[in-house]
Amino acid sequence: MNLLNQFWNSTPAQACAWSLATIGLYLVVKRIYRRWRRWWQTPLALTPALLSVLIFGLHIPYREYYHATSWLVVLIGPATVAFAAPIYENRALIRRHWPILCVGMIAGSGVAILTSWAFATLLGIDGVLRLSLLPRSISMPFAMDVSRDIGGVADVTSVFVAATGVLGPVLGEFMAARLPLRSAMSRGAMLGVAAHAAGTAKAHELGSEEGSIAGLLMILVGMLNVFGAAIFTWLR
Amino acid sequence: MTTHALSVQFRRKFYGSRLAQIALLYFVWLASSSLARAVGLPIPGGIVGMAVLYALLASKAVSLRSLRRGVQWYLGEMLLFFVPAVLSFTAHPEFFGLLGLKILAVILAGTVSVMCVTALTVDLFYRWRTRHELTESVLE
Repeated sequence: MNLLNQFWNSTPAQACAWSLATIGLYLVVKRIYRRWRRWWQTPLALTPALLSVLIFGLHIPYREYYHATSWLVVLIGPATVAFAAPIYENRALIRRHWPILCVGMIAGSGVAILTSWAFATLLGIDGVLRLSLLPRSISMPFAMDVSRDIGGVADVTSVFVAATGVLGPVLGEFMAARLPLRSAMSRGAMLGVAAHAAGTAKAHELGSEEGSIAGLLMILVGMLNVFGAAIFTWLR
Repeated sequence: MTTHALSVQFRRKFYGSRLAQIALLYFVWLASSSLARAVGLPIPGGIVGMAVLYALLASKAVSLRSLRRGVQWYLGEMLLFFVPAVLSFTAHPEFFGLLGLKILAVILAGTVSVMCVTALTVDLFYRWRTRHELTESVLE
């Protein structure tokens, strides 16, 4: 029994157990989401929610869990590299519509940063937490990099990005039906800029043009913010 | 067997192998991020790798088809890679309360603002541009 305990508490056993729990729950949630498509079932929200029950129930400190599953986080790097493929695929779209894409990107990004700052200040949120809120509307890998650059906490930003991803598609569907929009491009831009990958998935439901614009803008806006943050740290 | 036949066979295997493509993309990231760190670039390795992969695709050194399976895997399962980071909320008990509600309000109001401004700006600009193009073609 003692030996079993010792084995269970060893690092490799912990890494295996938590990685398997994370991947397993993710796959189950993905299947649930594909079947019922409720907004709260998105894998980015429901998987952490279920895992948190496990973590709280077993009284595991977050550091320990993160340590065991950090190899998954490493894969964000090559996943970012893979973004080059959709950009290359849509290069004709960029060449044709680059002025509009630029306008949408700059307007959306500016408003995202300004409103996050303004509303946070209004509600008395300041310091590191406010900084971590600024990149919340861009895609996760970029948001975490930006957060690190401007003095926020990348992990905390990831929670806000996920929250945006849960609310975004619901709000986007609501707004798309109420705003006086005449172009597919504007609906795509709205979802891609405001709600990253979750918005892009919703945009694909609205139409294929909306989907490709959203997917493209999500990546471009993320890059714009990363370069902006790099310049910001360089100037500071 | 000639070298040509061998390379065709290798290529066919690579097109079919998701794992090999995943490994190649991982290697591109690893090489780019170590290069970025060595040179002291202020840009994250992932973005440098993206530029490298774009250059490879644009120069036709690598075809989009040969990486499709790997790309689809990374982009399709990306949410999984964020799950450990998102769980950091368990280390912040202060989020379960008034502060959490405030943050939610900031995110809600912010997202609505971004959506309104982005959608209306793009729509106006798009309409202006199509009208512009129309008059131009009429004048010609």
